[in-house]
Amino acid sequence: MIHLANIDKYYDSRFQRTFVLKDINLKVNEGEFVSIMGPSGSGKSTLLNIIGLLDQPSAGDYQLDGQSMLNLREKEVVGFLRNFMGFIFQAYHLIEEMTVYENIETPLIYKGVKSKDRQAMIADLLDRFNMVAKKELFPTQLSGGQQQLVGIARAIVGKPRLLLADEPTGNLHSGQGEMIMETLRALNREGMTIVQVTHNEKFAGYGSRIIRLEDGYIRSDQPALTTERIA
Amino acid sequence: MFRYFLTGIYRNVLKDKVTSLINLVNLTIGFTTFILLGMVVSYEFSFDKFNTNFDRIYRVQTKQEDSYPINYCTFSPAAFRYHLMADQPEVEQVLLMREVSAGQGGGQFFQLPDGSQLFEKDGYFSENAIFDIFSYHILEGNPQHALDEPNQIMLSEKLRQKLFPEGNAVGKKVLIGKRFLLTVVGVYADLPYHASLRPSYLVSLSTYELFAGIQKYRDNWTYIDNDNFVLLRKGADPARVNERIHNAFKEVKNFEKSSPYLHPLSKMHISPNSQPDMIVGLSILSLAGLLVLVLSCVNYVNLSLAGSTRRAAEIGIKKVVGFSGRVIAVQFIAETLVLTFLAMILGMGFAQLASPMMANILRSNAVFRIFDYGALLVVLLGTAILAGIASGLYPALVLASYNPIKVLKGKLFAGKGNAFSLRKVLTTAQFSISLFMLIVSLILYAHVNFILNKDLGFESRNLLFTEIHPRQPVDFESVRQRLLVHPEIVDATFSNTIPFQGNIGGFVSWDGAAQDQKEMISRNYVNYEFVPTFGLKMLYGRNFSKDYPSDDKSCLINETALKVFGWKDPIGKQIFMNGRPFPVIGVVKDFHPFSVHNPIPSYIMFLKDKNELTGEAQLTVRFSEGNKGKARDIITAELSTALPDEPFEVKEFSVIFYLDLAITFWQSMKKLFFFFAVVTLLISSMGLFGLILFTTKRRTKEIGVRKVLGSSVGSIYTELSSEVVWLIGFAILVACPAAILIYRTMPGAYKEPLNLTEFLLAIAVTILMAFLTITYHVLKVAVQNPVKALRYE
Repeated sequence: MIHLANIDKYYDSRFQRTFVLKDINLKVNEGEFVSIMGPSGSGKSTLLNIIGLLDQPSAGDYQLDGQSMLNLREKEVVGFLRNFMGFIFQAYHLIEEMTVYENIETPLIYKGVKSKDRQAMIADLLDRFNMVAKKELFPTQLSGGQQQLVGIARAIVGKPRLLLADEPTGNLHSGQGEMIMETLRALNREGMTIVQVTHNEKFAGYGSRIIRLEDGYIRSDQPALTTERIA
Repeated sequence: MFRYFLTGIYRNVLKDKVTSLINLVNLTIGFTTFILLGMVVSYEFSFDKFNTNFDRIYRVQTKQEDSYPINYCTFSPAAFRYHLMADQPEVEQVLLMREVSAGQGGGQFFQLPDGSQLFEKDGYFSENAIFDIFSYHILEGNPQHALDEPNQIMLSEKLRQKLFPEGNAVGKKVLIGKRFLLTVVGVYADLPYHASLRPSYLVSLSTYELFAGIQKYRDNWTYIDNDNFVLLRKGADPARVNERIHNAFKEVKNFEKSSPYLHPLSKMHISPNSQPDMIVGLSILSLAGLLVLVLSCVNYVNLSLAGSTRRAAEIGIKKVVGFSGRVIAVQFIAETLVLTFLAMILGMGFAQLASPMMANILRSNAVFRIFDYGALLVVLLGTAILAGIASGLYPALVLASYNPIKVLKGKLFAGKGNAFSLRKVLTTAQFSISLFMLIVSLILYAHVNFILNKDLGFESRNLLFTEIHPRQPVDFESVRQRLLVHPEIVDATFSNTIPFQGNIGGFVSWDGAAQDQKEMISRNYVNYEFVPTFGLKMLYGRNFSKDYPSDDKSCLINETALKVFGWKDPIGKQIFMNGRPFPVIGVVKDFHPFSVHNPIPSYIMFLKDKNELTGEAQLTVRFSEGNKGKARDIITAELSTALPDEPFEVKEFSVIFYLDLAITFWQSMKKLFFFFAVVTLLISSMGLFGLILFTTKRRTKEIGVRKVLGSSVGSIYTELSSEVVWLIGFAILVACPAAILIYRTMPGAYKEPLNLTEFLLAIAVTILMAFLTITYHVLKVAVQNPVKALRYE
């Protein structure tokens, strides 16, 4: 599904070129759950942003489903964001002026889903995450774990094929973190492709494969010992 | 510490050039407007102050309680000078003056060295005391007894240059009105432009009786057309004089209800008729100037707060290393003061540059020089300090109160947006004001066009006229025939007055009127050709005709008079004036005899005695299209032959029409409102910019989220600008009714009906301006990479 070939990302200052990513080659197949790990500044987030079309590589080739993602027009990028992917953030990034329900609804509105269908789709999700009673609350009235659940609901409500998560548990204590990771694993088992960035070895183990970055290079790429196996 | 401040300010200004520049432009506009209006107000209050005796000079004026509303006449009778004021112990000097006139307009003809005639206005008959009371600078001659003898004249430097360009005027003779030979006894420097009384020449008062051919002028109590000035002794109380002279008219028949009073020189320009009109106008103008400055200070506060995130990190760090909130606040206020002073200095420059435009709007010959107004400079300095502190204080306190931990975490604007923030209310108010100004100036624009193009009821184009007052009667028909020989001349007439120039009125009664019922009605004395020359239309009956010898005892009336008299069949009915009956032979369609501002009054025309030019007369000539220059030459040549001893000046009718007070007033108003409309629109655009800067900053994260969720740039633009749509909607709701109210209360009998296009145009301009203001910034935010907005640090 994802095919990155010889991806470089660098910034030019007056006298030198600073590499953030250097010669990244990566293939992710449909249905995989990939965890990207690495120390601060190793380029994890940049890599995720490039995959999510929020950033452009400086060199190299990026194909998504066999289609080149280089030099897309604004409209095409928006199309992929609406129909292909969902995002989850460390800081949840819910819109604070909107209720839980409205937050989940937003991507569907952009997608152009009819009001009736939207109601049904959101109701399903709220039910699944046990949040029906909280749909009229504002994000600040929820705990961190609940906010991140809303964030996941918002990311998957449009049924994307690819879910990108940037340290989804970074702001949560471990109990809530586990709950979130369980949710992601469940989604993956239903067939959703997931790429997550994380610092946490244990949570990285929820994925099927762990990629370690260091100074912009891929240092290792190996199958994860699943948490079930560790446990 | 001080140097630390200065370098800090310098670097902060450079760090964000756009915001600094907008702040500077915004404050500069505020100051420029404030200073400009301040100069106008100071100018109006600076009149006559150059006189050494400024606070001791008074004009004796006449309060007439039997007119409605009570009339405060600036004039008074000559007898005041000799039989009233000279006896008052408080009075040090008395001065009697009257304007030199050659008929209805003030002024006289002077013979130039080449024999041609120069019509010069603003001449006065005056006593020599004028040089003791007022501050004149004598260039030639001795002011001691200059105007004591008859037939003496003092010239202003300007007139001296026209009459005696080679200099040394003293002892030379000048010929006035082709009749009177006067001896020049001196030359005085031109009076400054802020003098109420700026005589072009002064003729000794004793000459007046010779000029006018009257006697016992000094004992006259009933001709209220003189200027009486007095100089009070030092420390004298004018109230005591007022008390004593209050009953001076008690013994004068028909004037029992009049009383003299002292009017100080300080009010001679601002309020000559003891009426507050001009003071009210100047107060409104000062208020408007202040308001613009306040609005730009508000903008400054908004822009500063919007820009304060950039400063937040700096302040957070400063606080962590131990700066107190007070030091930070002082630094910010100092920064604001520097900017305010810079804006003030720029404002002074721009105001000085723009002052000729203001003089043009106010139709004044004034030359504004900002350094002439010491008081204004002091006020300005105070205002700049006040404005600097006022607009720096709030942002300073906000900045200084930041919690350093929150600031460093970047959570400054995490709170919810308040729907009714003061900021939004103020910006809405700004837009309401500028929209209101725009609509009103468009209404005024339409109104000026309306009265300029209004059907006057007569053909006002292609008319020339001249005022003559022959000593010997001249047969008009022969003059007319000489003119009509030329194909360029269509017709000619003469009359006592012409439309827009002069007015005679008197009480008239009529057939069918109740006992004692009479009306004050304007009248004119015209000859046979008045109706055709002016292109008046007959509704009933006929014009005066030479075929009916009895026409000199009949009259023409206008439509309005017909309505007032209530006649069904007007021809043959009679009106009565001074007990004499005049049968009506015709009715003319209504025309505007005076200002287009007023409703058309009742009007009666009588036939001139014989067909002779005599006394004072207006001679009007209609010429054929495109022959104005030729016609003027023909009239000048023929009249010089027919009336060789009479000075005259051929004028265009359109000139007096455009000088109509109503038209000049509305044109000034139109320009003034337009000026304010532009200024307020600029200011409110900057206010809007501050608002949108703040909004986008507060919503940066949200915009990033929305983009990631698949929102297009277009829908983000719509989302962000919806706030502006609301704002303008409110402004429309406020401004339109206010503008309609102004239109309703606008004085004048004839108004153009309100037009929807004026409102739509103003709204369109405002919306366009608003969207031009926000579009660049909103788009910049909307196309920004969401990764930047969502970065977690």
